[in-house]
Amino acid sequence: MSAAVGRLGKVILGGYFGLMVVFLYVPLVVLVIFAFNNAYIPALPYSGFTTKWFHAAFSNTDLTGALKRSAWLALLNGAAASLLGVAAALAMTGRRLFLRSVWTTLLLLPLVVPYIVLAIGMVIVIHQLGYQASLTAVLAGHIVISLPYSILVIVPRLRTLDESIVEAARDLGADNVRAFLLVTLPLIVPALISSALICFTISFDEFAIASFLAPPGSPTYPVFLYSGTRTPALEPQVIALGAIVVVFSIVLVVAGDVSRRVLERRLAT
Amino acid sequence: MTDRPIAEAPPRRLRLRPRGGRAFLIAPPVLVVLAVMVAPIVLIALYSVDVKTNLPFTPTKFTWSMWKDFLPPSGKFPNPFWHRFEISMVITVVVSLIAVAAAYPLAYFLAFVSRRSRYTLLLLILAPFFTSYLLRVIAWKIMLSNHGVINTALWDIHLRSHGDGLPWLIYSKFSVGLVLFYSWVPFVAVPIFVLLDRLDPNLLEAAQDLGAGRVTTFLRVTLPLSLPGVIAGFVFVLIPTTGEFITPLLVGGPGSQMFGNSIQSFFQDTPNWNYGAVLALWLVGVVFVMLLVFGRFLATDLREANS
Repeated sequence: MSAAVGRLGKVILGGYFGLMVVFLYVPLVVLVIFAFNNAYIPALPYSGFTTKWFHAAFSNTDLTGALKRSAWLALLNGAAASLLGVAAALAMTGRRLFLRSVWTTLLLLPLVVPYIVLAIGMVIVIHQLGYQASLTAVLAGHIVISLPYSILVIVPRLRTLDESIVEAARDLGADNVRAFLLVTLPLIVPALISSALICFTISFDEFAIASFLAPPGSPTYPVFLYSGTRTPALEPQVIALGAIVVVFSIVLVVAGDVSRRVLERRLAT
Repeated sequence: MTDRPIAEAPPRRLRLRPRGGRAFLIAPPVLVVLAVMVAPIVLIALYSVDVKTNLPFTPTKFTWSMWKDFLPPSGKFPNPFWHRFEISMVITVVVSLIAVAAAYPLAYFLAFVSRRSRYTLLLLILAPFFTSYLLRVIAWKIMLSNHGVINTALWDIHLRSHGDGLPWLIYSKFSVGLVLFYSWVPFVAVPIFVLLDRLDPNLLEAAQDLGAGRVTTFLRVTLPLSLPGVIAGFVFVLIPTTGEFITPLLVGGPGSQMFGNSIQSFFQDTPNWNYGAVLALWLVGVVFVMLLVFGRFLATDLREANS
Protein backbone atom coordinates (compact mmCIF):
# COMPACT_ATOMS: atom_id res chain seq x y z
CA MET A 1 0.00 0.00 0.00
CA SER A 2 1.91 2.96 -1.29
CA ALA A 3 -0.57 5.52 0.07
CA ALA A 4 0.39 4.73 3.67
CA VAL A 5 4.14 4.13 3.55
CA GLY A 6 6.94 5.05 1.19
CA ARG A 7 9.96 2.86 0.47
CA LEU A 8 12.09 4.56 3.13
CA GLY A 9 9.22 4.34 5.58
CA LYS A 10 8.99 0.60 4.98
CA VAL A 11 12.68 0.15 5.77
CA ILE A 12 12.50 2.27 8.93
CA LEU A 13 9.31 0.59 10.17
CA GLY A 14 10.70 -2.86 9.38
CA GLY A 15 13.91 -2.09 11.25
CA TYR A 16 11.96 -0.75 14.21
CA PHE A 17 9.72 -3.83 14.26
CA GLY A 18 12.81 -6.07 14.21
CA LEU A 19 14.39 -4.16 17.09
CA MET A 20 11.23 -4.45 19.16
CA VAL A 21 11.09 -8.21 18.52
CA VAL A 22 14.69 -8.42 19.78
CA PHE A 23 13.78 -6.33 22.84
CA LEU A 24 10.77 -8.57 23.56
CA TYR A 25 12.72 -11.82 23.28
CA VAL A 26 16.12 -10.91 24.78
CA PRO A 27 15.11 -11.35 28.45
CA LEU A 28 13.46 -14.68 27.66
CA VAL A 29 16.43 -15.93 25.65
CA VAL A 30 18.78 -14.80 28.45
CA LEU A 31 16.64 -16.73 30.95
CA VAL A 32 16.97 -19.88 28.84
CA ILE A 33 20.73 -19.41 28.29
CA PHE A 34 21.44 -18.93 31.99
CA ALA A 35 19.37 -21.98 32.89
CA PHE A 36 22.36 -23.91 31.51
CA ASN A 37 24.98 -21.75 33.25
CA ASN A 38 27.37 -23.59 35.56
CA ALA A 39 27.25 -21.05 38.41
CA TYR A 40 24.97 -19.91 41.21
CA ILE A 41 24.74 -16.33 39.99
CA PRO A 42 23.49 -15.52 36.49
CA ALA A 43 26.36 -13.25 35.40
CA LEU A 44 28.86 -12.86 32.57
CA PRO A 45 31.32 -14.33 31.67
CA TYR A 46 29.40 -17.54 31.08
CA SER A 47 30.70 -20.27 33.39
CA GLY A 48 30.17 -23.26 31.13
CA PHE A 49 27.33 -25.52 30.12
CA THR A 50 25.47 -27.70 32.61
CA THR A 51 22.08 -29.35 32.96
CA LYS A 52 22.49 -29.85 36.70
CA TRP A 53 19.99 -27.11 37.65
CA PHE A 54 17.24 -28.99 35.83
CA HIS A 55 18.10 -32.15 37.79
CA ALA A 56 18.25 -30.13 41.00
CA ALA A 57 14.91 -28.48 40.24
CA PHE A 58 13.10 -31.72 39.52
CA SER A 59 14.49 -33.49 42.56
CA ASN A 60 13.40 -30.58 44.77
CA THR A 61 10.11 -31.88 46.16
CA ASP A 62 9.02 -28.43 47.35
CA LEU A 63 9.28 -27.21 43.78
CA THR A 64 7.66 -30.21 42.09
CA GLY A 65 4.95 -30.17 44.76
CA ALA A 66 4.18 -26.52 44.00
CA LEU A 67 4.19 -27.31 40.28
CA LYS A 68 1.71 -30.17 40.71
CA ARG A 69 -0.48 -28.04 42.97
CA SER A 70 -0.61 -25.28 40.37
CA ALA A 71 -1.28 -27.73 37.55
CA TRP A 72 -4.29 -29.20 39.37
CA LEU A 73 -5.54 -25.75 40.30
CA ALA A 74 -5.17 -24.59 36.69
CA LEU A 75 -6.95 -27.68 35.32
CA LEU A 76 -9.88 -27.26 37.70
CA ASN A 77 -9.95 -23.55 36.91
CA GLY A 78 -9.91 -24.16 33.15
CA ALA A 79 -12.85 -26.55 33.46
CA ALA A 80 -14.91 -24.54 35.96
CA ALA A 81 -14.39 -21.11 34.38
CA SER A 82 -15.14 -22.46 30.88
CA LEU A 83 -18.30 -24.19 32.11
CA LEU A 84 -19.53 -21.00 33.77
CA GLY A 85 -18.37 -19.07 30.71
CA VAL A 86 -20.50 -21.19 28.35
CA ALA A 87 -23.54 -20.76 30.59
CA ALA A 88 -23.05 -16.99 30.71
CA ALA A 89 -22.32 -16.74 26.99
CA LEU A 90 -25.44 -18.74 26.07
CA ALA A 91 -27.59 -16.50 28.23
CA MET A 92 -25.93 -13.31 26.94
CA THR A 93 -26.32 -14.20 23.25
CA GLY A 94 -29.89 -15.44 23.69
CA ARG A 95 -32.81 -13.49 22.32
CA ARG A 96 -34.26 -12.29 25.56
CA LEU A 97 -32.55 -11.80 28.88
CA PHE A 98 -33.83 -9.68 31.73
CA LEU A 99 -31.32 -6.91 32.65
CA ARG A 100 -28.83 -8.14 30.07
CA SER A 101 -26.50 -5.12 30.28
CA VAL A 102 -26.36 -5.34 34.08
CA TRP A 103 -25.22 -8.96 33.97
CA THR A 104 -22.77 -8.27 31.16
CA THR A 105 -21.15 -5.42 33.09
CA LEU A 106 -21.02 -7.46 36.28
CA LEU A 107 -19.46 -10.49 34.58
CA LEU A 108 -16.81 -8.39 32.79
CA LEU A 109 -16.00 -6.35 35.92
CA PRO A 110 -13.19 -8.69 37.11
CA LEU A 111 -11.20 -7.49 34.07
CA VAL A 112 -10.66 -4.10 35.73
CA VAL A 113 -10.76 -4.72 39.48
CA PRO A 114 -7.09 -4.82 40.60
CA TYR A 115 -6.09 -8.32 41.70
CA ILE A 116 -4.52 -6.94 44.87
CA VAL A 117 -7.91 -5.52 45.90
CA LEU A 118 -9.65 -8.82 45.11
CA ALA A 119 -6.99 -10.67 47.10
CA ILE A 120 -7.24 -8.56 50.26
CA GLY A 121 -11.04 -8.50 49.97
CA MET A 122 -11.06 -12.28 49.94
CA VAL A 123 -8.70 -12.32 52.93
CA ILE A 124 -11.23 -10.17 54.80
CA VAL A 125 -14.21 -12.32 53.76
CA ILE A 126 -12.44 -15.49 54.85
CA HIS A 127 -11.57 -13.89 58.17
CA GLN A 128 -15.18 -12.74 58.72
CA LEU A 129 -16.48 -16.23 57.99
CA GLY A 130 -13.98 -17.71 60.41
CA TYR A 131 -12.24 -19.84 57.78
CA GLN A 132 -8.53 -20.28 57.06
CA ALA A 133 -6.77 -19.37 53.83
CA SER A 134 -6.93 -22.36 51.49
CA LEU A 135 -6.31 -23.50 47.95
CA THR A 136 -10.10 -23.60 47.49
CA ALA A 137 -10.13 -19.85 48.07
CA VAL A 138 -7.34 -19.45 45.50
CA LEU A 139 -9.41 -21.48 43.03
CA ALA A 140 -12.49 -19.33 43.68
CA GLY A 141 -10.46 -16.19 43.02
CA HIS A 142 -8.99 -17.66 39.85
CA ILE A 143 -12.42 -18.66 38.53
CA VAL A 144 -13.67 -15.10 38.94
CA ILE A 145 -10.71 -13.48 37.18
CA SER A 146 -10.80 -16.08 34.36
CA LEU A 147 -14.55 -15.88 33.74
CA PRO A 148 -14.52 -12.68 31.61
CA TYR A 149 -11.82 -14.12 29.34
CA SER A 150 -13.83 -17.31 28.89
CA ILE A 151 -16.94 -15.25 28.02
CA LEU A 152 -15.01 -13.02 25.60
CA VAL A 153 -13.72 -16.10 23.76
CA ILE A 154 -17.03 -17.99 23.61
CA VAL A 155 -19.51 -15.16 22.87
CA PRO A 156 -18.05 -14.20 19.44
CA ARG A 157 -18.08 -17.86 18.40
CA LEU A 158 -21.73 -18.26 19.45
CA ARG A 159 -22.59 -15.11 17.47
CA THR A 160 -21.17 -16.59 14.28
CA LEU A 161 -23.40 -19.67 14.51
CA ASP A 162 -26.37 -19.80 12.19
CA GLU A 163 -29.34 -19.96 14.53
CA SER A 164 -31.41 -21.77 11.93
CA ILE A 165 -29.34 -24.94 12.51
CA VAL A 166 -30.37 -24.97 16.17
CA GLU A 167 -33.98 -24.26 15.19
CA ALA A 168 -33.84 -27.10 12.67
CA ALA A 169 -32.79 -29.43 15.51
CA ARG A 170 -35.78 -28.25 17.55
CA ASP A 171 -38.13 -28.67 14.59
CA LEU A 172 -36.87 -32.23 14.33
CA GLY A 173 -37.92 -32.84 17.91
CA ALA A 174 -34.83 -32.09 19.99
CA ASP A 175 -35.42 -30.30 23.28
CA ASN A 176 -33.17 -27.41 24.41
CA VAL A 177 -30.64 -29.66 26.10
CA ARG A 178 -30.33 -32.09 23.19
CA ALA A 179 -30.17 -29.27 20.66
CA PHE A 180 -27.32 -27.75 22.66
CA LEU A 181 -25.42 -31.00 23.17
CA LEU A 182 -25.81 -32.30 19.61
CA VAL A 183 -25.65 -29.07 17.57
CA THR A 184 -24.28 -26.04 19.42
CA LEU A 185 -21.66 -27.76 21.56
CA PRO A 186 -19.73 -29.49 18.75
CA LEU A 187 -19.64 -26.19 16.82
CA ILE A 188 -18.15 -24.22 19.73
CA VAL A 189 -15.51 -26.82 20.62
CA PRO A 190 -12.63 -24.68 19.20
CA ALA A 191 -13.70 -21.72 21.35
CA LEU A 192 -14.08 -24.00 24.37
CA ILE A 193 -10.54 -25.33 23.91
CA SER A 194 -9.22 -21.76 23.61
CA SER A 195 -11.15 -20.77 26.72
CA ALA A 196 -9.87 -23.75 28.74
CA LEU A 197 -6.28 -23.04 27.64
CA ILE A 198 -6.51 -19.33 28.46
CA CYS A 199 -8.10 -20.00 31.86
CA PHE A 200 -5.49 -22.68 32.57
CA THR A 201 -2.71 -20.18 31.84
CA ILE A 202 -4.30 -17.40 33.91
CA SER A 203 -4.48 -19.64 36.97
CA PHE A 204 -1.09 -21.24 36.43
CA ASP A 205 0.64 -17.82 36.32
CA GLU A 206 -1.40 -15.95 38.89
CA PHE A 207 0.63 -14.55 41.77
CA ALA A 208 -1.30 -11.78 43.55
CA ILE A 209 -4.29 -13.77 44.77
CA ALA A 210 -2.29 -16.93 45.46
CA SER A 211 0.33 -15.02 47.47
CA PHE A 212 -2.38 -13.88 49.89
CA LEU A 213 -4.57 -16.97 49.98
CA ALA A 214 -2.37 -20.04 49.49
CA PRO A 215 -1.62 -21.59 52.89
CA PRO A 216 2.05 -21.12 53.96
CA GLY A 217 2.84 -24.84 53.71
CA SER A 218 1.40 -25.29 50.23
CA PRO A 219 2.51 -22.50 47.89
CA THR A 220 1.42 -22.48 44.26
CA TYR A 221 4.18 -22.48 41.68
CA PRO A 222 4.34 -18.65 41.17
CA VAL A 223 4.43 -18.15 44.95
CA PHE A 224 7.28 -20.65 45.15
CA LEU A 225 9.08 -18.89 42.27
CA TYR A 226 8.82 -15.59 44.07
CA SER A 227 10.22 -16.97 47.30
CA GLY A 228 12.92 -18.69 45.23
CA THR A 229 14.16 -15.35 43.88
CA ARG A 230 14.82 -14.28 47.46
CA THR A 231 16.89 -17.40 48.24
CA PRO A 232 20.23 -17.35 46.33
CA ALA A 233 20.62 -21.14 46.66
CA LEU A 234 17.28 -21.65 44.93
CA GLU A 235 17.72 -19.05 42.18
CA PRO A 236 19.37 -21.35 39.59
CA GLN A 237 16.50 -23.83 39.99
CA VAL A 238 13.98 -21.02 39.57
CA ILE A 239 15.74 -19.98 36.37
CA ALA A 240 15.85 -23.56 35.05
CA LEU A 241 12.17 -24.12 35.71
CA GLY A 242 11.37 -20.67 34.34
CA ALA A 243 13.16 -21.51 31.11
CA ILE A 244 11.08 -24.65 30.67
CA VAL A 245 7.83 -22.81 31.38
CA VAL A 246 8.68 -19.93 29.00
CA VAL A 247 9.55 -22.26 26.13
CA PHE A 248 6.55 -24.47 26.84
CA SER A 249 4.07 -21.58 27.01
CA ILE A 250 5.32 -20.01 23.77
CA VAL A 251 4.97 -23.39 22.04
CA LEU A 252 1.49 -23.72 23.55
CA VAL A 253 0.40 -20.25 22.40
CA VAL A 254 1.59 -20.88 18.84
CA ALA A 255 0.13 -24.40 18.72
CA GLY A 256 -3.16 -23.17 20.18
CA ASP A 257 -3.47 -20.40 17.63
CA VAL A 258 -2.59 -22.63 14.69
CA SER A 259 -4.95 -25.43 15.75
CA ARG A 260 -7.80 -22.99 16.38
CA ARG A 261 -7.40 -21.57 12.87
CA VAL A 262 -7.27 -25.03 11.32
CA LEU A 263 -10.28 -26.27 13.30
CA GLU A 264 -12.42 -23.23 12.55
CA ARG A 265 -11.52 -23.40 8.88
CA ARG A 266 -12.58 -27.04 8.82
CA LEU A 267 -15.83 -26.32 10.65
CA ALA A 268 -16.59 -23.41 8.35
CA THR A 269 -16.64 -25.60 5.25
CA MET B 1 -31.13 -13.57 13.83
CA THR B 2 -34.38 -11.63 14.10
CA ASP B 3 -35.74 -11.58 10.55
CA ARG B 4 -38.07 -14.42 9.93
CA PRO B 5 -40.66 -14.93 7.24
CA ILE B 6 -44.20 -14.21 8.36
CA ALA B 7 -45.29 -17.61 7.11
CA GLU B 8 -43.35 -19.15 9.94
CA ALA B 9 -45.29 -17.27 12.56
CA PRO B 10 -47.61 -19.99 13.94
CA PRO B 11 -44.98 -22.59 14.95
CA ARG B 12 -42.78 -19.84 16.39
CA ARG B 13 -44.70 -19.89 19.64
CA LEU B 14 -43.69 -23.48 20.17
CA ARG B 15 -40.01 -22.72 19.71
CA LEU B 16 -39.87 -20.10 22.43
CA ARG B 17 -37.62 -21.28 25.18
CA PRO B 18 -39.02 -21.65 28.66
CA ARG B 19 -38.78 -18.38 30.55
CA GLY B 20 -36.65 -19.87 33.29
CA GLY B 21 -34.01 -21.06 30.84
CA ARG B 22 -31.97 -17.87 30.63
CA ALA B 23 -32.08 -17.17 34.36
CA PHE B 24 -31.00 -20.73 35.02
CA LEU B 25 -27.96 -20.17 32.77
CA ILE B 26 -26.96 -16.68 33.94
CA ALA B 27 -27.47 -17.32 37.68
CA PRO B 28 -24.42 -19.52 38.47
CA PRO B 29 -21.76 -17.21 36.93
CA VAL B 30 -23.45 -14.12 38.38
CA LEU B 31 -23.62 -15.67 41.85
CA VAL B 32 -19.93 -16.62 41.70
CA VAL B 33 -18.95 -13.04 40.82
CA LEU B 34 -21.22 -11.63 43.53
CA ALA B 35 -19.82 -13.94 46.19
CA VAL B 36 -16.14 -13.82 45.28
CA MET B 37 -15.76 -10.27 43.98
CA VAL B 38 -18.64 -7.98 44.98
CA ALA B 39 -18.97 -9.23 48.58
CA PRO B 40 -15.25 -8.68 49.29
CA ILE B 41 -15.43 -5.12 47.93
CA VAL B 42 -18.47 -4.40 50.11
CA LEU B 43 -16.57 -5.69 53.15
CA ILE B 44 -13.56 -3.55 52.20
CA ALA B 45 -15.91 -0.55 52.19
CA LEU B 46 -17.20 -1.48 55.68
CA TYR B 47 -13.63 -1.86 56.96
CA SER B 48 -12.65 1.52 55.50
CA VAL B 49 -15.20 3.31 57.72
CA ASP B 50 -14.45 1.16 60.79
CA VAL B 51 -17.85 -0.57 60.83
CA LYS B 52 -15.95 -3.87 60.81
CA THR B 53 -12.46 -4.69 62.00
CA ASN B 54 -10.15 -7.67 62.31
CA LEU B 55 -8.70 -6.41 65.61
CA PRO B 56 -9.99 -8.33 68.62
CA PHE B 57 -11.58 -6.43 71.53
CA THR B 58 -11.79 -3.24 69.49
CA PRO B 59 -15.12 -1.41 69.46
CA THR B 60 -16.34 -0.61 65.95
CA LYS B 61 -18.11 2.63 65.18
CA PHE B 62 -18.75 4.37 61.88
CA THR B 63 -16.14 7.04 61.20
CA TRP B 64 -14.63 8.90 58.25
CA SER B 65 -11.46 9.61 60.20
CA MET B 66 -9.17 7.31 58.19
CA TRP B 67 -10.51 8.72 54.92
CA LYS B 68 -9.88 12.26 56.21
CA ASP B 69 -6.39 11.25 57.18
CA PHE B 70 -5.62 9.77 53.76
CA LEU B 71 -7.17 12.33 51.41
CA PRO B 72 -4.98 15.35 50.48
CA PRO B 73 -6.21 18.34 52.54
CA SER B 74 -4.89 16.62 55.64
CA GLY B 75 -3.29 19.55 57.43
CA LYS B 76 0.36 20.35 57.75
CA PHE B 77 1.94 17.06 56.71
CA PRO B 78 1.15 15.48 53.37
CA ASN B 79 0.03 11.91 54.00
CA PRO B 80 2.83 9.51 52.91
CA PHE B 81 0.34 7.15 51.28
CA TRP B 82 -1.22 9.94 49.28
CA HIS B 83 2.28 10.90 48.20
CA ARG B 84 2.89 7.27 47.20
CA PHE B 85 -0.34 7.36 45.18
CA GLU B 86 0.85 10.46 43.29
CA ILE B 87 4.25 8.91 42.47
CA SER B 88 2.50 5.72 41.42
CA MET B 89 0.12 7.56 39.07
CA VAL B 90 3.00 9.45 37.46
CA ILE B 91 4.79 6.14 36.75
CA THR B 92 1.54 4.64 35.42
CA VAL B 93 0.69 7.53 33.09
CA VAL B 94 4.25 7.94 31.77
CA VAL B 95 4.56 4.19 31.09
CA SER B 96 1.16 4.13 29.36
CA LEU B 97 2.03 7.09 27.12
CA ILE B 98 5.42 5.65 26.14
CA ALA B 99 3.86 2.23 25.50
CA VAL B 100 1.27 3.75 23.15
CA ALA B 101 3.91 5.77 21.31
CA ALA B 102 6.10 2.68 20.91
CA ALA B 103 3.23 0.38 19.93
CA TYR B 104 1.80 2.65 17.22
CA PRO B 105 4.62 2.04 14.70
CA LEU B 106 4.40 -1.69 15.45
CA ALA B 107 0.71 -1.69 14.57
CA TYR B 108 1.37 0.53 11.55
CA PHE B 109 4.02 -1.87 10.29
CA LEU B 110 1.71 -4.86 10.75
CA ALA B 111 -1.23 -3.19 9.03
CA PHE B 112 0.47 -1.46 6.10
CA VAL B 113 3.83 -3.12 5.43
CA SER B 114 3.53 -6.81 6.28
CA ARG B 115 0.48 -7.53 4.20
CA ARG B 116 0.20 -11.30 4.08
CA SER B 117 2.20 -12.34 7.12
CA ARG B 118 0.64 -9.80 9.47
CA TYR B 119 -1.21 -12.26 11.71
CA THR B 120 1.90 -14.42 12.06
CA LEU B 121 3.98 -11.36 12.97
CA LEU B 122 1.30 -10.21 15.40
CA LEU B 123 1.53 -13.60 17.10
CA LEU B 124 5.33 -13.21 17.16
CA ILE B 125 5.14 -10.02 19.23
CA LEU B 126 2.22 -11.26 21.35
CA ALA B 127 3.75 -14.62 22.31
CA PRO B 128 6.00 -13.18 25.07
CA PHE B 129 2.93 -11.43 26.48
CA PHE B 130 1.32 -14.83 27.06
CA THR B 131 4.22 -16.23 29.05
CA SER B 132 4.13 -15.95 32.81
CA TYR B 133 4.09 -12.33 33.98
CA LEU B 134 6.12 -13.18 37.07
CA LEU B 135 8.73 -14.99 34.97
CA ARG B 136 9.15 -12.01 32.68
CA VAL B 137 9.82 -9.81 35.71
CA ILE B 138 12.27 -12.41 37.06
CA ALA B 139 14.00 -12.51 33.66
CA TRP B 140 14.46 -8.73 33.82
CA LYS B 141 15.79 -8.99 37.36
CA ILE B 142 18.50 -11.31 36.03
CA MET B 143 19.30 -8.76 33.32
CA LEU B 144 19.31 -5.67 35.53
CA SER B 145 20.56 -6.67 38.98
CA ASN B 146 23.82 -5.32 40.42
CA HIS B 147 25.72 -8.48 39.52
CA GLY B 148 23.37 -9.22 36.65
CA VAL B 149 23.85 -9.78 32.95
CA ILE B 150 24.00 -6.14 31.80
CA ASN B 151 26.37 -4.93 34.52
CA THR B 152 28.72 -7.91 34.25
CA ALA B 153 28.72 -7.55 30.46
CA LEU B 154 29.80 -3.90 30.86
CA TRP B 155 32.60 -5.00 33.22
CA ASP B 156 33.61 -7.73 30.81
CA ILE B 157 34.16 -5.33 27.94
CA HIS B 158 35.77 -2.79 30.30
CA LEU B 159 33.17 -0.09 29.73
CA ARG B 160 32.84 0.21 33.50
CA SER B 161 35.28 -0.81 36.20
CA HIS B 162 34.63 -4.16 37.85
CA GLY B 163 32.12 -4.11 40.69
CA ASP B 164 30.77 -0.70 39.73
CA GLY B 165 27.19 -1.28 38.60
CA LEU B 166 25.04 1.36 36.95
CA PRO B 167 23.20 2.85 39.95
CA TRP B 168 19.90 3.48 38.15
CA LEU B 169 19.69 0.09 36.46
CA ILE B 170 17.69 -1.68 39.17
CA TYR B 171 15.63 -0.78 42.26
CA SER B 172 14.77 2.52 40.60
CA LYS B 173 11.85 4.17 38.84
CA PHE B 174 13.68 3.38 35.61
CA SER B 175 13.66 -0.38 36.24
CA VAL B 176 10.00 -0.40 37.31
CA GLY B 177 9.01 1.67 34.27
CA LEU B 178 11.09 -0.43 31.87
CA VAL B 179 9.63 -3.74 33.04
CA LEU B 180 6.06 -2.40 33.01
CA PHE B 181 6.64 -1.04 29.50
CA TYR B 182 8.08 -4.39 28.40
CA SER B 183 5.10 -6.26 29.82
CA TRP B 184 2.41 -4.20 28.14
CA VAL B 185 3.75 -2.85 24.85
CA PRO B 186 2.78 -5.89 22.68
CA PHE B 187 -0.76 -5.79 24.03
CA VAL B 188 -1.18 -2.08 23.27
CA ALA B 189 -0.42 -2.74 19.61
CA VAL B 190 -3.52 -4.95 19.25
CA PRO B 191 -6.39 -2.40 19.36
CA ILE B 192 -4.38 0.05 17.20
CA PHE B 193 -3.65 -2.70 14.68
CA VAL B 194 -7.33 -3.73 14.55
CA LEU B 195 -8.38 -0.19 13.57
CA LEU B 196 -5.54 0.43 11.12
CA ASP B 197 -6.11 -2.93 9.48
CA ARG B 198 -9.77 -2.09 8.87
CA LEU B 199 -9.02 1.37 7.48
CA ASP B 200 -10.46 1.82 3.99
CA PRO B 201 -7.45 2.21 1.63
CA ASN B 202 -9.58 4.40 -0.64
CA LEU B 203 -9.61 7.10 2.04
CA LEU B 204 -5.82 7.33 1.95
CA GLU B 205 -5.76 7.38 -1.84
CA ALA B 206 -8.48 10.02 -1.92
CA ALA B 207 -6.44 12.21 0.41
CA GLN B 208 -3.40 11.88 -1.82
CA ASP B 209 -5.39 12.48 -5.00
CA LEU B 210 -6.48 15.72 -3.38
CA GLY B 211 -2.84 16.70 -2.99
CA ALA B 212 -1.92 15.61 0.50
CA GLY B 213 1.53 14.16 1.08
CA ARG B 214 2.07 11.01 3.09
CA VAL B 215 2.73 12.98 6.26
CA THR B 216 -0.39 15.10 5.83
CA THR B 217 -2.44 11.99 5.00
CA PHE B 218 -1.17 10.36 8.17
CA LEU B 219 -1.79 13.36 10.39
CA ARG B 220 -5.21 14.27 9.01
CA VAL B 221 -6.70 10.91 7.99
CA THR B 222 -4.95 7.85 9.44
CA LEU B 223 -4.17 9.17 12.90
CA PRO B 224 -7.61 10.63 13.68
CA LEU B 225 -9.32 7.47 12.45
CA SER B 226 -7.11 5.25 14.59
CA LEU B 227 -7.54 7.39 17.71
CA PRO B 228 -10.13 5.09 19.36
CA GLY B 229 -7.59 2.25 19.12
CA VAL B 230 -4.88 4.49 20.57
CA ILE B 231 -7.08 5.39 23.53
CA ALA B 232 -8.13 1.76 24.02
CA GLY B 233 -4.45 0.75 24.03
CA PHE B 234 -3.64 3.51 26.51
CA VAL B 235 -6.37 2.28 28.86
CA PHE B 236 -5.23 -1.34 28.43
CA VAL B 237 -1.97 -0.34 30.18
CA LEU B 238 -3.35 2.38 32.43
CA ILE B 239 -5.90 0.26 34.32
CA PRO B 240 -3.84 -2.81 35.20
CA THR B 241 -0.74 -0.71 35.94
CA THR B 242 -2.69 1.47 38.39
CA GLY B 243 -3.01 -1.53 40.72
CA GLU B 244 0.43 -2.95 40.01
CA PHE B 245 2.54 -4.34 42.85
CA ILE B 246 4.52 -7.33 41.55
CA THR B 247 7.03 -5.45 39.38
CA PRO B 248 8.00 -2.92 42.12
CA LEU B 249 8.28 -5.85 44.54
CA LEU B 250 10.97 -7.49 42.42
CA VAL B 251 12.80 -4.68 40.60
CA GLY B 252 11.71 -1.59 42.55
CA GLY B 253 13.54 0.14 45.38
CA PRO B 254 12.20 2.06 48.38
CA GLY B 255 11.61 5.15 46.22
CA SER B 256 9.86 3.29 43.41
CA GLN B 257 7.24 1.25 45.24
CA MET B 258 3.77 1.75 43.86
CA PHE B 259 0.37 2.28 45.47
CA GLY B 260 -0.41 -1.45 45.28
CA ASN B 261 2.62 -2.11 47.49
CA SER B 262 1.23 0.26 50.14
CA ILE B 263 -2.01 -1.74 50.17
CA GLN B 264 -0.08 -4.99 50.36
CA SER B 265 2.03 -3.74 53.28
CA PHE B 266 -1.11 -3.10 55.37
CA PHE B 267 -2.09 -6.73 54.98
CA GLN B 268 1.31 -8.38 55.31
CA ASP B 269 4.10 -6.36 56.92
CA THR B 270 2.35 -3.97 59.31
CA PRO B 271 -1.21 -5.25 59.58
CA ASN B 272 -3.81 -2.53 59.74
CA TRP B 273 -6.62 -3.89 57.63
CA ASN B 274 -8.89 -0.94 58.23
CA TYR B 275 -6.43 1.63 56.88
CA GLY B 276 -5.45 -0.76 54.09
CA ALA B 277 -9.14 -0.98 53.18
CA VAL B 278 -9.22 2.81 52.67
CA LEU B 279 -6.35 2.59 50.18
CA ALA B 280 -7.87 -0.45 48.44
CA LEU B 281 -11.27 1.19 48.02
CA TRP B 282 -9.62 4.37 46.77
CA LEU B 283 -7.81 2.27 44.15
CA VAL B 284 -11.09 0.69 43.03
CA GLY B 285 -12.65 4.16 42.84
CA VAL B 286 -9.78 5.50 40.72
CA VAL B 287 -10.05 2.56 38.31
CA PHE B 288 -13.82 3.02 38.00
CA VAL B 289 -13.39 6.72 37.23
CA MET B 290 -10.89 5.77 34.51
CA LEU B 291 -13.47 3.33 33.20
CA LEU B 292 -16.20 6.00 33.18
CA VAL B 293 -13.94 8.41 31.30
CA PHE B 294 -12.53 5.93 28.79
CA GLY B 295 -15.13 3.15 28.90
CA ARG B 296 -16.86 4.04 25.64
CA PHE B 297 -13.62 3.51 23.72
CA LEU B 298 -13.27 0.06 25.21
CA ALA B 299 -16.94 -0.65 24.58
CA THR B 300 -16.71 0.16 20.86
CA ASP B 301 -13.64 -2.02 20.70
CA LEU B 302 -15.45 -4.94 22.33
CA ARG B 303 -18.55 -4.48 20.23
CA GLU B 304 -16.51 -4.43 17.05
CA ALA B 305 -14.55 -7.49 18.14
CA ASN B 306 -17.82 -9.28 18.75
CA SER B 307 -19.51 -8.42 15.49
